[in-house]
Amino acid sequence: MKREEIREKLKQILFETDDRNADQVRDCSEDSDLRTDLGLSSVGMLYMVFSIEETFGVRFENVSMNDFKTLGDVVDYLENKTEEGKSK
Amino acid sequence: MKTQSAKIWEKYTDAVTFSKIRDMDSVAQMWESCVKEYADRIAVSDNGETYSFSRIDEEVKRYRTQFADLDKGDRVVLLIPNSYEFVRAFLAVTTLGLTAVILPVQLDPKAVFGCCMKFGAKKLVYQKSMQDKIDQVLAIKPDLCVVKAEEIPEEETDAAFVAGTDPCVIMFTGGTTGKSKGVLLSNAAVMQGTVNGCYGYKDVFFQRYLLILPLSHVFGLIRNLMTSLYTGSDLFICRDNKDMFRDIAAFKPTAMVMVPALAEMALNLSAKFGRNMLGDDLKTIICGAAPVAPYLVGAYHEKGIALLPGYGLTESANLVSGNPESLRLSDSVGLMFPNQEYRIEDGELWLKGRNMLDCYVGEEENDSFEDGWFKTGDLARVDEEGYLYITGRIKEIIVLPSGENVSPAEVEAYFNALEFVQDSQVFEDQNDRGETILALEIVPRQTVLAKLQKDDPAAYMMEKLGEVNRTLPAYCQIGKIVIRDQDFERSPSMKIVRYKK
Repeated sequence: MKREEIREKLKQILFETDDRNADQVRDCSEDSDLRTDLGLSSVGMLYMVFSIEETFGVRFENVSMNDFKTLGDVVDYLENKTEEGKSK
Repeated sequence: MKTQSAKIWEKYTDAVTFSKIRDMDSVAQMWESCVKEYADRIAVSDNGETYSFSRIDEEVKRYRTQFADLDKGDRVVLLIPNSYEFVRAFLAVTTLGLTAVILPVQLDPKAVFGCCMKFGAKKLVYQKSMQDKIDQVLAIKPDLCVVKAEEIPEEETDAAFVAGTDPCVIMFTGGTTGKSKGVLLSNAAVMQGTVNGCYGYKDVFFQRYLLILPLSHVFGLIRNLMTSLYTGSDLFICRDNKDMFRDIAAFKPTAMVMVPALAEMALNLSAKFGRNMLGDDLKTIICGAAPVAPYLVGAYHEKGIALLPGYGLTESANLVSGNPESLRLSDSVGLMFPNQEYRIEDGELWLKGRNMLDCYVGEEENDSFEDGWFKTGDLARVDEEGYLYITGRIKEIIVLPSGENVSPAEVEAYFNALEFVQDSQVFEDQNDRGETILALEIVPRQTVLAKLQKDDPAAYMMEKLGEVNRTLPAYCQIGKIVIRDQDFERSPSMKIVRYKK
């Protein structure tokens, strides 16, 4: 999956996760901080994790949510995961 | 002043179950009874292992030996994430008549050190995952006596006799003033809170609970862990919240204790992915620690799950009230639990009773108490059936030039009932003529607006908000309404930061 495609799917998930910050999500970049810029709470992070797992068919393993600071961190992780999936 | 009797709760379960709900004086007494009655039942499932009551008791007996050199009433700090090790250490400490000081695991090393000093801790128990933090604490105070949660001596030590009046735990709270304080709860208080968790629903004993709340929070410790043990239930400890839905699918809980935001999130995910994310076996959700949106009760009822809101404080050993009829009275936090004395003084809820705190530790003066009553800081009313409604916080009251008092939360509740309102805030403002008025700002729920497919969503919202406004008593009608395009500023605990005058 292309990086851009991952990013757009993630933005859609973020919009559904907490639509109070719809404008920030619409204008966000890969440098946007998930908590401070996009306002994700611990419960919001949980929603995002599950939606990502279902949408991308991946599983967050051996990582903590604290490992993900920016949207770009999540894109990096998913890019690697989807590449791993292809090479298997 | 009124005191609630247990009788009122009888009709919500069967006679046999109700007769089994009885008060206990101490954690030690409860644990002895649990081991006798439920010996071979599974009490805790954690990290791929299951622990029966008798197995835990064997290990608790040995783990007590770590504290055999301490005197009754001495304080032991627990710095242990949610895990079986926490359960074992907590039971060992409290059944010896020691006081467990439960620290949130995210505290930094300096704060851990500060707490050990402030509370005069004789020992600190930590899990090995906390080793780095402990090393830093020891660098500040090398003579602090630390104990590993995983190291169980061979030798056994008997439980002590512990009275209801003996101190049991010190828990942290933001308190009614917002400043972090240590709340000292007696054994009787902890046990009243534990037993309160058994009232108001049918299937009380032998449940399957899933733990997601931190055990350093009174809702997690008392309503989740303690009530689960008391009722012979199996408590599955979710070690990493990101695995929560996988754990639910595997463990199939019948009861869960959760905050409203989590209940709402699970509902949204269920709608999105077309299956019940909380599992088909779930029958009861105990929901609290924040105001519960009334629509959640109906939405869960449609899934065959009773969502029961309640009201409680750290200072009241968790539960003060619970709502057994949440479908009929979804905006109430329910009926007072047994032995709860209460009165409403100038609109504020005052509490007294077996479940109430002994004191704030290390706070010499405190204006939260008056004539033996604890002043909650919450504005409340009780209806003719005895149902409690929390209508706001006393410090948020707006006094209008007319002298009339307005609770913003009470007014906001009318607007929050509109489906498209995600959050709202009522505050004091001035109009163009410099007169004091009430103003309202709302954050719309975009997903709901999108579904409504209105040509002019802002005009539609204004029309509906205006309709609600016109139903309010004249003195608390809103003079200015603003629809925000971004969220309110929020505190670290995600509460809205209210505008200051």
